[in-house]
Amino acid sequence: MIKRKGSQLVIYLILIAGLIIVIMPMIYMVSTSIKPNGALYEYPPKFFPKLKEITFENYAYILGQKKFLNNFANSILVSVLTVGLSAIVSSALAFVIARFRFPGRSLLFGFIILTMIIPGTTMIVPQYELAVRLKTINSIWGLIPFYVAWVIPYSTFMIKGFVENIPKELDEATYMDGGSILVVFFNVAIPLAKPGIASVSIFNFLTAWEEFPWANTVINDDMKRTLPIAISGFFGQHQFTQWGYVFALSVLSLIPILVVFVSCQRFFVQGLTAGSVKG
Amino acid sequence: MKFNAKSRLQILLLLLPGLVVFGIFTVYPIIRLFWMSFFKWDFGSFLDQEFIGFENYRTVLSDENFRIAFTNTIVYTLITVPAQMALGLLVAMLINSISHVKIGFRVAYYLPVITSWVIASLVFKYVFNTEGLLNYFLTNVIHVTSQNVRWLDSRWGGMTVAMLLGIWKGIGWNMVVFLAALQTVPLELYESASLDGAGSMQKFLNITLPGIRGTILFALVMLTIGGFNVYTSTKLITGGKPGHDTEVVLTWMYYKAFSNGKFGYSAALSFIIAIVLAILAVLQFRLMQNKDEG
Amino acid sequence: MKERKKVLAILLASATCLAAMTGCGQASPAESASGSENQETATETKTETESNSAETESADEVTINFWHHYSAQSAENETLTTVLIPKFEEENPGIKVNAVSHEWADLHDKLLISAESDTLPDVARLDSAWIPEFQKMGILVPLNQEMSDYNEVAGGLLDSAMSTAEIAGDNYGLALNTNTKILYYNVEALEAAGIEAPKTMTEFADACKALSGTNANGQQVWGYDEPGLSGWNLCPFIWSMGGSLTNEEQTKATGYLNSKETVAAIEMFADLYKAGAITGWNSGDIPMTDGFGTGRYAMLLEGPWKVAELAGAYPDFKYETAPVPAGDGGSVSVLGGEDISMFNSANKDAAWKFMKFMTSEYAQEEMAKCGQIPVNKEALESDTVKAADFAPYIDQLQTAKSRPTVACWSEFDSELAAAVTDVVNGDKSAQEAMDELAAKVDTLLAE
Repeated sequence: MIKRKGSQLVIYLILIAGLIIVIMPMIYMVSTSIKPNGALYEYPPKFFPKLKEITFENYAYILGQKKFLNNFANSILVSVLTVGLSAIVSSALAFVIARFRFPGRSLLFGFIILTMIIPGTTMIVPQYELAVRLKTINSIWGLIPFYVAWVIPYSTFMIKGFVENIPKELDEATYMDGGSILVVFFNVAIPLAKPGIASVSIFNFLTAWEEFPWANTVINDDMKRTLPIAISGFFGQHQFTQWGYVFALSVLSLIPILVVFVSCQRFFVQGLTAGSVKG
Repeated sequence: MKFNAKSRLQILLLLLPGLVVFGIFTVYPIIRLFWMSFFKWDFGSFLDQEFIGFENYRTVLSDENFRIAFTNTIVYTLITVPAQMALGLLVAMLINSISHVKIGFRVAYYLPVITSWVIASLVFKYVFNTEGLLNYFLTNVIHVTSQNVRWLDSRWGGMTVAMLLGIWKGIGWNMVVFLAALQTVPLELYESASLDGAGSMQKFLNITLPGIRGTILFALVMLTIGGFNVYTSTKLITGGKPGHDTEVVLTWMYYKAFSNGKFGYSAALSFIIAIVLAILAVLQFRLMQNKDEG
Repeated sequence: MKERKKVLAILLASATCLAAMTGCGQASPAESASGSENQETATETKTETESNSAETESADEVTINFWHHYSAQSAENETLTTVLIPKFEEENPGIKVNAVSHEWADLHDKLLISAESDTLPDVARLDSAWIPEFQKMGILVPLNQEMSDYNEVAGGLLDSAMSTAEIAGDNYGLALNTNTKILYYNVEALEAAGIEAPKTMTEFADACKALSGTNANGQQVWGYDEPGLSGWNLCPFIWSMGGSLTNEEQTKATGYLNSKETVAAIEMFADLYKAGAITGWNSGDIPMTDGFGTGRYAMLLEGPWKVAELAGAYPDFKYETAPVPAGDGGSVSVLGGEDISMFNSANKDAAWKFMKFMTSEYAQEEMAKCGQIPVNKEALESDTVKAADFAPYIDQLQTAKSRPTVACWSEFDSELAAAVTDVVNGDKSAQEAMDELAAKVDTLLAE
């Protein structure tokens, strides 16, 4: 496309204007979290607190409560394990489906596609019954297999696409050298499909990190709650909601996901360029 | 290729963990769901259910509240899906045409995607409060209305907030998807079109859109599923109020199961949704394939 | 086909990167694979040690789960977790209490679900309106039959409050606290409008209109705030205006729920709302305490806990209280109060000890400091309680009535709220909505 200086400037201005609208709610969240709790129904409402009004009392309160630290640890544990387990399990499924013919293969793949279509929450009733039978109600460990099962279809589907793009000659070469199927899987398929595994993993991390309906249904104890449940737990007491606490905890819970996202920015770019070179 | 016993064992080893987890926690519940939808299954009768055929389906389909929830879901999907695709594509094209800070914009526009639904919903609820910042801005700063708008208090007001949230949160994903797709459109096409004297609108319609057709359909399928998946935002923003006017299918299903204890009803409802989505997805996939071949 | 796959691949790659913890794209394949395996084994070991330690703990120690709906950030919850439970655990070595706070409506739903999944807590603080429903499900322990010292304990508690847990001659809970709502009003707002606290329902309606409008900042203000439209919210108006929900035997709603008087009460509510004089139940409204404390709502009907809440959040705010405005039916408020009950699956010895502790003079006195009216007779006589000035509530309690004690109350209640929502929003007339509701409730009562 032809680029002229004037139109470039207009484009930048449009992008910046759009950006302001897009990140406004998040800035408001941060600014509310550093206001004193009593200032929330002030008049006129202020977007930013005055400098001398800025306070970290909401953060101090949150960080001083053992249960919120627990909620944090729970969320990290559940998300990391979900990502790790689903990466292994889905890559293995994807590899086998992409490379081998075996009885029931199309049935399995059909089910994977089917479950990608059905919203996870529709299964909440039978899954609840299952959790009752397996005695995983009110157990933080009990969340993990359900989350892994939830993300398997999408992860497998996506990784399968990557495995199919790996030249079969590479497999053959390893077999020639006497390598077994497992060797091909670990030394050929996984390294070459890594961009795919990586990109589904970040989705899986986000899925587990923010999951709300299921955890809200099966977890009871304060100490066993994950962050989304803890955050929404401030709510519902409709006579008196302390927004300062709500948003302080929200901001804190955004940090890990931001760290993951920003620190993987380099990789994110690599994926893009690698893709366009291939294309 | 022929496999020896060892190879078979290894294939099985690779398949087994996935099959077990997927089978127990996803496939079994789906089958169970289908089964449950034919029984009278309430609080207090968890262990002892009565077969009632299609009665649950009849109850669901004749339920006024289900119809409201279903209509809300359809409207939500019909509005949020095209809106976030259009805006996402627009942002992608703008970012694609600039030469500096591309990455900065891409990261910033992606932020809403990584903000969890719970947090985003609470922020929106706070901003759209009758006494909230937005109303102050509308009435006292730019004076478009003299009365505070009661965003959260009516059916379409509440749905509007949920839809704005859906669009806000979806732009980033669409941007990334379309940005990737735009890289696959050969630059030479634009160059030769310019030589033929085509305007930018013509280039967009004749080169860009056909070039990313596959991605558009892919996004359409994914987002339609996403539209039916809406739960957390309406649950936290309006809680279905006033009455049950702002329920969507999933919040209504959840309410019937876990507040009213009508598990059979909820199972039937879930199954209806699954069927509707399956039909929609098949239609869209068909569309995708036809277009691909043509 | 081919092209689509390529696009998929590209957008996948662009869609971002691998999990933070396994390292972002620098690990070699072998490393990342073994890394994940290690992680798995580490987890398993951890689970085992954890469950082991849990087992050894349970050998000499009992943990009882106590669910309640004191708000998580309230003074009551503070007292419960920092004063009462430590004291109980000190007095009863070997028993630990795990207290869990749920929001009121969530607690009800969570208990129903837990009953199905056999994961009920040992003890819960229940809204007394729920007792019939849970009793019908057969999950409550009849205390008078199973606890040998029941009569002794029950004798120390107010009879009127104990009656809320009695069904067909058996007792399914101990009264924990009692309460009712009275009128709170903003002194300055009423003075400015030149009116006194309304004594009758007619005066109340006029006052609501007189007190609404806009304030100096140009913000809308309302005469009265009602944070919901369920029985707890509407009953004082329905009863005071001479209406009712059901017949005396609680078997029939038609003729009562759609009677002239009940419909008049609902109409008054709807008219005041349409006139912009009352609000509060909408999702976008200011929360009750904040709205009252900042002068946006001039009047409320609330219980004794509001005193501590206002003192905490709006210490300089000036307000007074008065009885519920009287109508043709007198000044009738709604009887609140909670019972503490034990579930079938409980560790009965430990649970009973905790229930006795919570209804003891000591615990009741501590809770009275946060606005919970005691039901323990000795605590009622104590200086703390006398200083708390519960007199206006205790006067109002003389005429307060309880909501229907029927098993279907929760469903009845939510149907009521839905029907009145239709009326205030102008979708149906009050008569029409109440006729339909009465017919629906008749079927519920017959079940």
